[in-house]
Amino acid sequence: MHIDLFLFGIMAVTFAMVIAKRMSALINAFAAQSFFLFLVTLSLAVRSGHLDLYIVAVLLFLLKVLLIPYFLKRVVKKIKVKEDLGLFINPAVSVFLAMALTYMAYLFTVKFISIQGKIENSEFFVSLSVALIGMFIMVFRQKALAQIIGLMVMENGLFLSAASVSGGMPFFVEIAIFFDIFLCVIILGMFVYRINRIFTHIDVDKLTELKG
Amino acid sequence: MDIIVILVIQLLLAVSPTFFGKHRNFGYFNAAGYLLSLIYSLCLALSIAKGVGVISLFNFFYIDALSAYFILTISLINFASSVYSIKYISGDVEEGEISASKAVKYYSLFNLFALSMYFVTVVNNLGMVWVAIEMTTLVSAFLVGFHNNKMSIEAAWKYIIICSAGITLALLGTILFYYTASRDGGVNSLNWTDMMSVARKMDPRMLKIAFLFIIVGYGTKAGLVPMHTWLPDAHSQSPAPISALLSGVLLKTAIYAILRYTAIINKCVAVHYSSNLFIFFGLLSLGISAGFILVQKDLKRLLAYSSVEHIGVIATGLGFGGAAGLYGALFHVFNHAVNKSLMFFGAGYVVKKYKTGDMNVIRGVMGTMPFIGTVLILGAFALGGSPPFSIFVSEIMVIIAGFRAGAYLPAVLALFFLAVIFGSLIYHFSRIVFGKRPQDMQVSACPFSMKFISVFLFIFICIMGFKMPWFFNKLLVSAGNIIRGV
Repeated sequence: MHIDLFLFGIMAVTFAMVIAKRMSALINAFAAQSFFLFLVTLSLAVRSGHLDLYIVAVLLFLLKVLLIPYFLKRVVKKIKVKEDLGLFINPAVSVFLAMALTYMAYLFTVKFISIQGKIENSEFFVSLSVALIGMFIMVFRQKALAQIIGLMVMENGLFLSAASVSGGMPFFVEIAIFFDIFLCVIILGMFVYRINRIFTHIDVDKLTELKG
Repeated sequence: MDIIVILVIQLLLAVSPTFFGKHRNFGYFNAAGYLLSLIYSLCLALSIAKGVGVISLFNFFYIDALSAYFILTISLINFASSVYSIKYISGDVEEGEISASKAVKYYSLFNLFALSMYFVTVVNNLGMVWVAIEMTTLVSAFLVGFHNNKMSIEAAWKYIIICSAGITLALLGTILFYYTASRDGGVNSLNWTDMMSVARKMDPRMLKIAFLFIIVGYGTKAGLVPMHTWLPDAHSQSPAPISALLSGVLLKTAIYAILRYTAIINKCVAVHYSSNLFIFFGLLSLGISAGFILVQKDLKRLLAYSSVEHIGVIATGLGFGGAAGLYGALFHVFNHAVNKSLMFFGAGYVVKKYKTGDMNVIRGVMGTMPFIGTVLILGAFALGGSPPFSIFVSEIMVIIAGFRAGAYLPAVLALFFLAVIFGSLIYHFSRIVFGKRPQDMQVSACPFSMKFISVFLFIFICIMGFKMPWFFNKLLVSAGNIIRGV
C-alpha cells in the first residue's frame, strides 16, 4: 500500500495547520489530517487482516474526521467570535520552528528508537513531529479553540506512533482512549461556551486573573 | 470480591443523586455510602496484609499491597470529604449561593470523581490507568469550575488543558514501554504484571526515555514543579471539599501511576536513574513552593502551594530510596492526605465567613470561629512538621534515608526548605487565627459534621506517628518492596 504517500499527506497538512490564520482553516486541516491517519490505519488493517484494526479505523473516521470537526465548527458558529487565530508568531517564523521540531523528531527517532523496517521508522518520526507540532499550536495560538485542536493533533500523533511501534495498542485500550478523547473535546467545547459567555472573548492569553 | 463491592457502591452513589438528590437528607445518605466503602477497603487492606498478598480478577483488576494502601487512603479522604460536604453544601443552598439543582449536580460529580480515582488504583492494565487518570481530570474540571465565575472558569480551563497535554506525554511514555515490552520481552500486553515479568529483558535505553515521559506526564498531574502551574489555581477556586479531594488524593493517584512504572524500570535499569530524577523534581518542588508560601497572600493558594511542597517531599523520599526512604515517602502520602484535607475543611469555612481568601484581611478567626481557629493553628503546626504529629515522623524518615543513602547535599537542602516552609506557615496562620476580630462580625457556631470530621482526622494526625495498626505497617513495607522489586 501507499503508506509513505499517506505519511507525506499527514506532514503536509500538519504544516498547513502551522500557517493557518483562520479558525475554519485549522479545523479543516485537522479533519484532513485525521483522514490521512484513517488511510494509514486502513492500510495497516488490510496488511495484517486483523478485524480489530478495521474497527479502530472506522471509529477513527467517524470520530475524528466527521464528529469532532463538525462539533468544533458548530462551536465556532455559535459563539460568533472573530475567525482569526491571533498568532503570537507570524506564519514564516512558525514554519521555521515547526521545521526545527520536525528535525528534532527525526534525530530522536534515528538515535534512540531503532525500529526494524523503513516504513515503521518514518511512521514513528512523522508521528513524533506531529505530536510536537500539536504542542506548538497549543502554546503559540491565543484562542481557546485552537488549543483544543492542538491537543487533538498531539493525540493524532500519538495514535500514529502507537500504530507504528507495535501495530496499535491492545484493542479495548484503544477504544477506551477514543472514548476519553471524545469526552475531552465535548467538555472543552462546553468550557469554551462558558468562557465566551463570561468573558465575552476566547483569548486565553487574557485569562490572567489568577497569579502568584 | 471486596473491590467489586466498593466499585458497585461507588457506581450506585454516582447515579443516586439523579433520583434522590433533591431530598433534604441526601448528604447523610451519601456519607453513609462512603462509610461503607471505607469499611470494605479496610477489609480489603486487612485481607491483603494477612497474607492473601495479591488479588487478581478477570485479568483486569489487580490489587496488591501498593493498590490496597492507596485505596485505603482514598476511601478515608472521600469519607471525610463527604461528611464535610453535608453542611457545607446545604449551607450554600440555604444562603442562596447555589441552587438546589446545582447541589444535585455537585453530588453526582463528586461521586463520579471518587469512582474514577478508585478506578486508577484497581486496574492492572497501564493503558486503562491512563484512561482512568484522564477521566479524573475531565470529571473534576466541572468541580473546579463549579462556581462558574471568571476566576473559577479560568482555573478550570488551565487545569484541563495543562493536565491533558501533560498526560498526552505520559501516553507516549506508555507506548514506548509497550513497544519495548513487545519487541524485547515478547509480551503483547499492557498489563503491569506481564510487563514486570519481562522487565529484565527490556531495552534499558528505551526505558530511560520512556520513564522521562512518564515522570513529566504524570508529574504534571501530581503537581511536580515546573509542571505545577495549574495546581494553585484549581485548588484555590474549587469548593473546599473538592480542594481537599484534589490535594489529598487526586495528586496521589498520579504518584501511584508513576510508582507502577518505577517498579518496572527498577528491575531493568540501575536504580540511581529513577532516584536522581525523583530527587531533582522533588527538591525543585520544595524550593519553588517554599518561595511561594513565604510571600503568599491567599489562604487557599497557600494550602495549594503547601501541597506542591508535600508532593516534593514524597518525590524526594522516593528518590532517596532504600527500604526506609520508600517507607517514609509512602507514609507521607497518607499523612499529607489527612492533614491537608483537614486544613482545607477549616479554610473553607474561613473563606465562607470572611467572604475572601485574602490573608491581609482575615483576622481573629479564633474569636469568630473558636473551633475552626483551633483546628487551623494545630493543623498548621502538624502540616509544617512539628514533632508530636505524624508528618514529622514521615519527614524525618525521608531525611534520615537521604543521609543514609549518602545524599548529603539533597538532604540538607530539603531540611532547609522544610524549615523555611515551617516558619512561613506558622507566621501566616498565627496572623489570621489570632489578632483582633472585625467588630461587625458575629461569633458563629461550627456545624457538628465539621467538628466530627476534624476530630476524626485529628486522631490520625496525632497517633499514626507513634503507633500504627499492624496491617498498615505491613502494607507500607510490602508496597515498598514491590517498588524496589524484592
